[in-house]
Amino acid sequence: MNKAFDRYSSVCFALVGALFVIESRNISTSAYGSEVGPNLFPMGLGIILIILSLRLFWESTRARTESSTATEGKTLQYKRFLVIFAATLLYVYLLEPVGYVITTFLFLFVTFKVMGSKSYIKTTFVAFAFSAGVYYVYVHLLQGTLPGFPVWLGF
Amino acid sequence: MSTLQYLADGFYIAMQWHNLLYAFIGVLIGTAVGVLPGIGPMSGVALLMPVTASLTSGMNAEQAAASALILLAGVYYGAMYGGSTTSILLNTPGESSSVVTTLDGYQMAKQGRAGAALSIAAIGSFVAGVFALVALVFLAQPLSDLALHFGPAEYFSLMLLGLCAVSGLGGKSMTKALIMTVFGLLLATIGIDNVSGVARFTYDIPYLYQGLEFLTIAVGLFALGEVFKTILENDISSKQLIKVGRILPSAMDLKQSAAPIARGSILGFFVGLLPGAGATLASFFSYILEKKWSKNPERFGKGAIEGVAGPESSNNAASGGAMIPLLTLGIPGSGTTAILMGALLMYNVQPGPLLFTDHPQVAWGLIASMFIGNLMLLALNMPLVKVFAKIIETPPHFLIPSIIAISVFGVYAVQITTFDLVLLVFCGLLGYFLSSNDFPLAPLVLGLVLGPMIENNMRRALTTSNGDFTIFLTKPLSLIFLGCAALWLIIPLILKVRGKEVVINEEA
Repeated sequence: MNKAFDRYSSVCFALVGALFVIESRNISTSAYGSEVGPNLFPMGLGIILIILSLRLFWESTRARTESSTATEGKTLQYKRFLVIFAATLLYVYLLEPVGYVITTFLFLFVTFKVMGSKSYIKTTFVAFAFSAGVYYVYVHLLQGTLPGFPVWLGF
Repeated sequence: MSTLQYLADGFYIAMQWHNLLYAFIGVLIGTAVGVLPGIGPMSGVALLMPVTASLTSGMNAEQAAASALILLAGVYYGAMYGGSTTSILLNTPGESSSVVTTLDGYQMAKQGRAGAALSIAAIGSFVAGVFALVALVFLAQPLSDLALHFGPAEYFSLMLLGLCAVSGLGGKSMTKALIMTVFGLLLATIGIDNVSGVARFTYDIPYLYQGLEFLTIAVGLFALGEVFKTILENDISSKQLIKVGRILPSAMDLKQSAAPIARGSILGFFVGLLPGAGATLASFFSYILEKKWSKNPERFGKGAIEGVAGPESSNNAASGGAMIPLLTLGIPGSGTTAILMGALLMYNVQPGPLLFTDHPQVAWGLIASMFIGNLMLLALNMPLVKVFAKIIETPPHFLIPSIIAISVFGVYAVQITTFDLVLLVFCGLLGYFLSSNDFPLAPLVLGLVLGPMIENNMRRALTTSNGDFTIFLTKPLSLIFLGCAALWLIIPLILKVRGKEVVINEEA
């Protein structure tokens, strides 16, 4: 168990709770004739969340200093993760402007390589088969919608 | 017998060729999901939800819902089957409900009885699955008749009970489980309020008016979260597979495991019925029971076939049992059933007592298809167990990025917005950080699914009572539910204070 994370997260959750409580006061009251308006439920939950966060904070300060056995002995691969995470974000943002097949192929090619795929031919083949296969089956056979090829490519 | 008549109709639907195909694809993918370490039943079902949505897009709503549910439920119980394979062959459970199977299953495999262990697990799962279904058939109607008498106050309390049960057993820290539940409920309030039509927490962002899409959050938290975890922690197993060998169990094996299968089925079913207690708990209880029951308990842990047969039957029975509160009361008792419920709601099918009268096609088609699916699983698993064992050898460097790509495809196919994709990626990040710090994710999903219904029922009840909160305490049934809810939270606390080990349900 990571105490520092618990402490920070309890603060975060308390802030989220506070945000919901404050914002729920701004919800406009409706014409619907009831004593319980749309703000009651989120406000109550926000208060409960704040109370629970306080309890978590209290628990995390009280907990005995246990060495975190879970993360020990494991080296976290931050570099690999960050590259893949950045690739995923780029993939997501470029999906609409550049189109499904091209972005998926590039994304898979890069991430396969980062994850340790050795052969270039195999990597290219799998990435291409996945992106083109999904596009063909989904758009042509199932008549679904996916961003196609960008206009500036000319086809 | 109207139940049998309905069941026959259900079989008629389930036997349609496309539904047979969906059931087959479902159990096939489910088994693969169960076998692959890294994706459990929850992320498997979440990942396939958008895919089924696009597969069924051409049909009318009722049929589409039935077919999609048939496929998704197939993934659910298929994963329960498949999880045992890795436990036995690799000593690494594919999902948490087959953790116990490693104890004796791996020992059996080391002694060269891997085939027997695998086939007993398959047979046990089949018997348990069928048992749970028969019970489901006979309990469904009376339970939903009972639930029809519930008013909004009763429903509110019942859902609160479900949430408390899942939070009480949800993870290592009850505070964290409760935080996740409340967080899920809060996220569910974003969007247009169902009752009054007022926009809440939308800040004029058009994407938020519909509320946060359940599908995006579920896929992000579970599928992407697990993928990120695998990438960061590099827990890719490169252990040596044990050869499967002779598949058919000997007569001796069958004789020894008949009673544990029967006990495991009954126990698992009732554990599955309880909200919060899922397949993982059922398999633990069954193992403990078998060990207590056995004449020579010292054999356990050294390759006793009872230690495989009992828990494997009970985890399958529990996944069948968990369908009952979902279908009859509309209250999911675990993360996976919450996702199934999300799928039903996506098709505008409201699970609950009216499901059997409003959408008999969906309800009975699903039940009938589970019979067929279990049969398919047995037929698939006995001869093909060696093929499935090969799936474990899928190179992870291809598998992991593909899961990300499938998630992105799935969410985009249903939502068609970049906003949801970005939300998906951040939910994945959130899912990783939360789950790696013992924040259970199942309560969050449950809160997200149940949120709108809890709120509506609460407000309807309060409207009838003119804002008087005692309505929840004066209705007897509602009071009983609230009392049970309080007990679910208090009893584990008392046990913990007394220093007892509390069995928890890590993931269902």
